[in-house]
This record gives sequence, C-alpha cells and structure tokens, in this order.
Amino acid sequence: RKSLVQQDQGWHIEATGTTELGLEQDLRRAMSPLQVEEAHEHCLLFLVWGPPKSRQLQRLSLTIPGWVTSVLGMAPRVSCFLLAVLISASCKAIPSSDPKEIPDTLPNTTEVLEFSFNFLPTIQNTTFSRLINLVFLDLTRCQINWVHEDTFQSHHQLNTIVLTGNPLIFMAETSLSGPKLLKHLFLTQTGLSNLEFIPVHNLENLESLHLGSNHISSINFPENFPTQNLKVLDFQNNAIHYISRKDTHALEQATKLSLNFNGNDIKGIEPGAFNSKIFQSLKFGGSLNLSIILKGLQNSTIQSLWLGTFEDTDDQDLTSDTFEGLCDMSVESINLQKHRFYDLSSSTFRCFTRLQELDLTAAHLNGLPSGIEGMNSLKKLVLNANSFDQLCQISAASFPSLRDLYIKGNMRKLDLGTRCLEKLENLQKLDLSHSDIEASDCCNLQLKSLRRLQYLNLSYNQPLGLEDQAFRECPQLERLDLAFTHLLVKAPHSPFQNLHLLRVLNLSHCLLDASNQRLLAGLRDLRHLNLQGNSFQDGSISKTNLLQTVGSLEILILSSCNLLSIDQQAFHGLGNVNHLDLSHNSLTGDSIDALNHLKGIYLNLASNNIRIIPPHLLPALSQQSTINLSHNPLDCTCSNINFITWYKENLYKLEDLEETMCANPPPLRGVKLSEVKLYCGITGVGIFFIVVFVFLLILLLIFSVKFILRWKYQHI
Amino acid sequence: MDGAVIGPCYRAGHTQGLCAMKGFAAALLIWTLLSPQRAGGEAWPTHTACRNGNLQVLYQSCDPLQDFGFSVDQCSRQLKPNLNIRFGMVLREDIEQLFLDVALFSKGLSILNFSYPICEVDLPKFSFCGRRKGEQIYYAGPINNPGFEIPEGDYQVLLELHNQDQATVACANATVLYS
Repeated sequence: RKSLVQQDQGWHIEATGTTELGLEQDLRRAMSPLQVEEAHEHCLLFLVWGPPKSRQLQRLSLTIPGWVTSVLGMAPRVSCFLLAVLISASCKAIPSSDPKEIPDTLPNTTEVLEFSFNFLPTIQNTTFSRLINLVFLDLTRCQINWVHEDTFQSHHQLNTIVLTGNPLIFMAETSLSGPKLLKHLFLTQTGLSNLEFIPVHNLENLESLHLGSNHISSINFPENFPTQNLKVLDFQNNAIHYISRKDTHALEQATKLSLNFNGNDIKGIEPGAFNSKIFQSLKFGGSLNLSIILKGLQNSTIQSLWLGTFEDTDDQDLTSDTFEGLCDMSVESINLQKHRFYDLSSSTFRCFTRLQELDLTAAHLNGLPSGIEGMNSLKKLVLNANSFDQLCQISAASFPSLRDLYIKGNMRKLDLGTRCLEKLENLQKLDLSHSDIEASDCCNLQLKSLRRLQYLNLSYNQPLGLEDQAFRECPQLERLDLAFTHLLVKAPHSPFQNLHLLRVLNLSHCLLDASNQRLLAGLRDLRHLNLQGNSFQDGSISKTNLLQTVGSLEILILSSCNLLSIDQQAFHGLGNVNHLDLSHNSLTGDSIDALNHLKGIYLNLASNNIRIIPPHLLPALSQQSTINLSHNPLDCTCSNINFITWYKENLYKLEDLEETMCANPPPLRGVKLSEVKLYCGITGVGIFFIVVFVFLLILLLIFSVKFILRWKYQHI
Repeated sequence: MDGAVIGPCYRAGHTQGLCAMKGFAAALLIWTLLSPQRAGGEAWPTHTACRNGNLQVLYQSCDPLQDFGFSVDQCSRQLKPNLNIRFGMVLREDIEQLFLDVALFSKGLSILNFSYPICEVDLPKFSFCGRRKGEQIYYAGPINNPGFEIPEGDYQVLLELHNQDQATVACANATVLYS
C-alpha cells in the first residue's frame, strides 16, 4: 500500500495479453514484487473485466488518478470499490472490441502495423496520418467499404498494403498514391469482379499483386496497367475459364513472372496465348483437363509448372496423350501430385525428356515402368506418399543423372532390397524418411554404389540393425538423419566408421546404447551431433564416454537424456564446442563443473534440477556468451546469494529471463530471479562462530577476574 | 464460465466486518462489471454436426475468437470411408501449413491421440491449402478418412487445427452420443 501512496502522479498499469492468464502475468510484471500481493486484491478487478468475446482487445492501459491512490492508502476496501467503478466507467467508454480508429498509444515511429480484424468502414487521409513511417500495413478483415482519395498520401515508406477480406465498394483514383515504392498489394477476397476496379495510379513499382478468391473471369488488364515490375500475380480461386492472346498481351512487359491459376476451371486457352513467353512459375492446380493447358502453353518457356490436383477435386486419369503438348514447350520442373495415371507405361513419359525435376507425390504409384527412355537429364525425382513395396520398383536405372531422390512417407512397408539404386551414381540427396523401412543388416547392400551421396534421411522408420561400417558405400556423406529410428548396434561396432566428411549427425530418440564407447568412432569431421532423447547408464556421463572420439564437435545436443550428473572430465576432449544444449534433464548445479574449459559458448540448462550454484562454479558460467537457466527450481535464499548477485550483473548474457524464477523460499516462488532483492547479513555459520567467540571471551574474563582476585588476596 | 475469484480474507488484522465488506463490494463489482456482457453468452453455442436415430454428434467452438460451421453428410454408426463434410469459417491465420490434432476421450479417459498433416508445403492435400488469413472458406467435400464402426457409448473429441507457428486456426469440443 505504501508504494501506491508514494506515487503522487497516479498508478499506471499497462497490460497486454489476450487471455486472463496473460493479463494477470502482465500485471504482475508491471508491478514490483513488493506490490504483487497488495495489487493482487485489486488486480482481480481487472482480470474479470471484459466479456469473453472481446479479449482480442490487445492492450489494456489504465491510469488511476492520484487522489484514488491516496484513498487507497486510507481505506482499501472502499477504494477497491471506487477503483472498480472508475474502471468500469472507463471501459464502457471504449467499445467492447474493434477500435474504430488507430489507438493514440501507438508511437509515431511505428513501421509494421498488424491491424487485422478491427472495424474501419472508411479509410481516408486522416486515418493513418500520424503514422507516417509505416512500411507494412495489414488491414485484413477490417470491414473496409471505402478507400478514399489520398489515404496514403504521406506514407512514403509504405511497401505492403494488405486489404484481404474487406467488402470494398470503391477505391478512389488516388487512394494508393503516396508511397514511393509500393511493392505488394493484397486484394484477396475483396469482391473484385473487374480489374478496372484497381486504381492504376502509383502501381509502377508493384512486384506482387494478389487477387485470389474474387469474381474475376478474365485476366485482361486495362490498357494503362503497369506490369513491368510484376513478379507475382495471383489469381487463385477465381472464375477464369478462358485465357486469350489479348489477355496475356498485357503481361508482355513482365519478366520472370509467376502466375497462379490454382482453383480456376480452365476450359480453354487460345493457341499462342503463351507463345514465346518466359515464366518463372505457372500454377494450374486442380485443373480438370491437363491436355488443354499443356496445348495452350505451346512454345512457352517455364521454369516450374504446377499441375497437381487435390483430394477434393474430381479425378481424371492421365494418359500418354495428356502430355502430348509437353513436347512443344520448355519446362524445367513439373508437379503432378495426387493424379492418377491410366495404363502407366514408358511411353507416358515420351515428352518428359527435357525435364529436370519431376514431382509425383501421392500419385497412387506402386511402381514406375522400366525402360523409360530419354529421361537422362532428370535431376530431381519426388515419389513421396506413394505405395511401393520394394525400392527396386521405382526402376531407378531410367534416371542416370538423378541427384535428388525423395521417397518420403511411403504408404506401405518399404523394402529397401539390395542394389536398387546402384545405377544412380550421381545421387547426392536421398530421403527415405517416414516410409516404414525395417532392415536387420543395414546399409551397405541397400545403398550399394551411392559413392556421391551427401545427404541421407532415414528418420522415422522401423528398427534398423546397423553393421560395423554401415555406410561404407557412401563415403561422401555430409549429413545423416536417423532421428526416431530405433538403431540396433552390437557393442564394440562403429557403424559410422569411415564417414570422414560427415558434419551433421542426428541420432535423437534412436534408443542408442550409449555405453558403446566406439559408437561414434571414425567421425573425424563431425560438427553437429544431436543425441536428444537417448539415455546414458545410471543417468550420468562418465569420464570415459562415447563423445571422446568426436573432438571436432561444435554443436552438441544432449537434451531430454534423463541425465542426473556429468563428470567433471566428461567433455574434456571437446575443445571446439560453441553450442551445448543440456536442457530437459535432471542436472544439478554441480554439473557446471564439466564446463570449466569451455569458453564463449551458448549454454542451455533450461528445465533441469538446478537449485544452488556454489560460488566456485560461477567463473565457469561467467566465461560463456549466452546461458539459459529457465525452468529450474532455483533457490532464492541467502545460501545462493552469490549466484543471485552474479545473475543480476550478467543479465545481458542470460536468455529467457521471463521464465527464470525462484522456487524457494515459498513466499518468493514464481518471482523472477532478476527482480529478487535479498539482504543477507551474517550467515548461520557466522552467528555460530560469533556465539562461540563471545562465550570464550566471557570464560576468559571470568578466569582472569578469578585469577586477579586470587592473586590480589593470596597473601591474606 | 469466467469464475470471478475473490482473494480470501487471510491477512492478519482484518476484522470480520472488513472482510464482509470486501465480499459485498466484490460481489457488487462483479455484478456491475459483468452482468451486461454476460447476457450475450460466454461460450459459443453447441451445434449439431449430424443426427440420425440414436447417433448424435455435437460440437462447440473452443476458439475464444470465433465460431465455425461444420456438418457431416452421413451419420451412421458404421462410419464410411471418405466421408463428405461441409465446413465454413473465416481464417485468422495463413494455412499454407495446416495440422489436425485429435484427442479422443471416453468416460474421462484418453483413448487415442494423433496428429495429421492437412496442408504441407510439399503436399497440399486439399484445394483450400495455401489460402490466407482473412479469407472466408467454405469446403464441401471428402476428408479421406478410413471407415470404422463406432462402439456404443459416449465420446468426447477435442479437435484442433493449427498452423506451423502453433497458432489456432480452429478448435472444436465435440461429443459423440450413441446409445
């Protein structure tokens, strides 16, 4: 109460948050720990304030006049009531949600304003006039009907305007003029039916124009519409059925354009409409008749062509005739996801010869025909989410230049077989994750001859038995991901032996036998090792451990390993480490001793069992660059005073301060460590010594008096 | 719904009278503050997704910001594969990536939990994938579910749609009643 009275100017609380809990936390933060309990009685008034639907009100700021605080000092119960009446009065002045204008609390320097789901029926030159530094303005679903002239006249920096989901009735001719470099305009679902609606003034610099989910039936831009800088033009989910030569003529000036026609039922394209035009990407997702589209794209050059379909789009089986048009155009990458092939044979791919990338995700395939000719230049093949039984069924020999192969999320148990990929001598990237793969002796026969492989992903599979030198066939491996795949390695075997170039190894949740000291032998150049979720014997990393063979490590993740302790010498071989994650274990303060020789690292000790950090371990923390100690049951008594003092002096080094709180003593539980003030005088031990000292002094006094008296009267 | 918690009179030095006064003031306050708004209803209404004989599926939006509309075309205890649903809502988040979390409970005990990707960058399964914050969507179509038979009993299902940032797109508390 005292602290409230002291402030003559009034008591100012600011709180942000969308939930009651958030508000409470913020209010607690806004007040010093001394005030927390006091304020809590009054806070409840704020917390229950506001109907449930209006909690989107982002900011609640209440200033209570000075005279109220003095009343508070005198009669808290009465003032409590007064306070509430005041608050309720001020709250009613504000509409329950959806402010009608830009709040005065926003600073003039605001650059990014996320103002979606508010209520601005009209926007005009006064609406944002104060915020002249705006760069990004999001006005999604603000029920805007009118955008009047010169609305953004003074916003020279404005780069992006988002008007998605507004029922626009009219935009004035000069409504978008003002910004010097307006690059992105979102007019998605604004009820547009005619492109003439968009004011052309000041669109010369436009790089992306989003016109999805409107009622547009023709992409014919008005004569004077500037398209020279356009890179992205989005027409998703409109009613475009026909594209004529005249329509595309307006796009002549644009270079490297990406056009999106997903969700439009294209029934026809005038021959030559895309003649000798160059596109970065074209999307015709969900189109029912692919052959019409491919014929219409004659003589065009397209980097990436997306022709996939969806779960909810009617099927039409693809035949070799469908792709006839592909012979007369130049496409680098094509996506045919979720389609069904009728009578799939080598001739289906007759016109795919110049293709670099082919994506057949979820194309209901259980094999690819053998003897496909002319796909020599294919570099990337995506066969995710299909139903192969055996890896050999993809007939890999047809794609000798393949660099990237993805067979992720196979719908059936995938048998890797033997030597199925041996013709893929150039393969660099192989993703076989989530494919229910199980193998007892992996992986030399399975990955035979993949001499150039650099990236291998076998994560999220069934148990794999790894032999000694299991990846001998892929000596160039740089990244290996085995996360969430149970690995069976016989005791002194070293499955990763000879992977001299391996830099990143993910072994998280692999149920490893960490007592095998040779497990990581041979990884000379390993920089990044993830051992998250594995257990160590007795929950302890001892002096001799499997990390001693990987001295070049820079990033080491040992989180969620149920660790109770780490030996002081355990990390001695790891001089290069700069990122150490030991979070989510049960380590105590003593484990910090193991970090004595490490300097300038990022150290994560969050969610452990650290209570007290003894003074002699503080130098080991001091020499690190960033430390996270959040979610530990930290002790805030005088027995930890050295650490608490150190903590406050090193706040700039500490991460996640908001979640670093005291657990002990009970009155300080939940208080942020940075806000704790401890006054520690003489400690218990000190008091003991003083008592002993005083006692001895008294004894000495008594004896000396006795001695003096005896000496004085001895001759009597 | 919003339980107004009043701090107990635990402090030493508070007389009974003060305590009573506090309680009275607090009650008055809550009445003043909340009664006009509470009339509007504190939770979204419970809707019927489908009803057929003795099988009934009810749901309620648990997104505090908004309600949504949902219905299932057939309602039978022998759930057919690839059911058709209807779904209408306003997106409050981009859904280039969209994930469904389902938690099934019976008699307060958890029976099943799973997570299923609906939209991913490399596999947009549905035509609505990739639509933007602020767009109103209406979906009427199949959901690619496996068929199964609903055993007799009452079930609580918590369905949550979220994007890659764990931002809620939709949330439903559903009850399946079959007797």
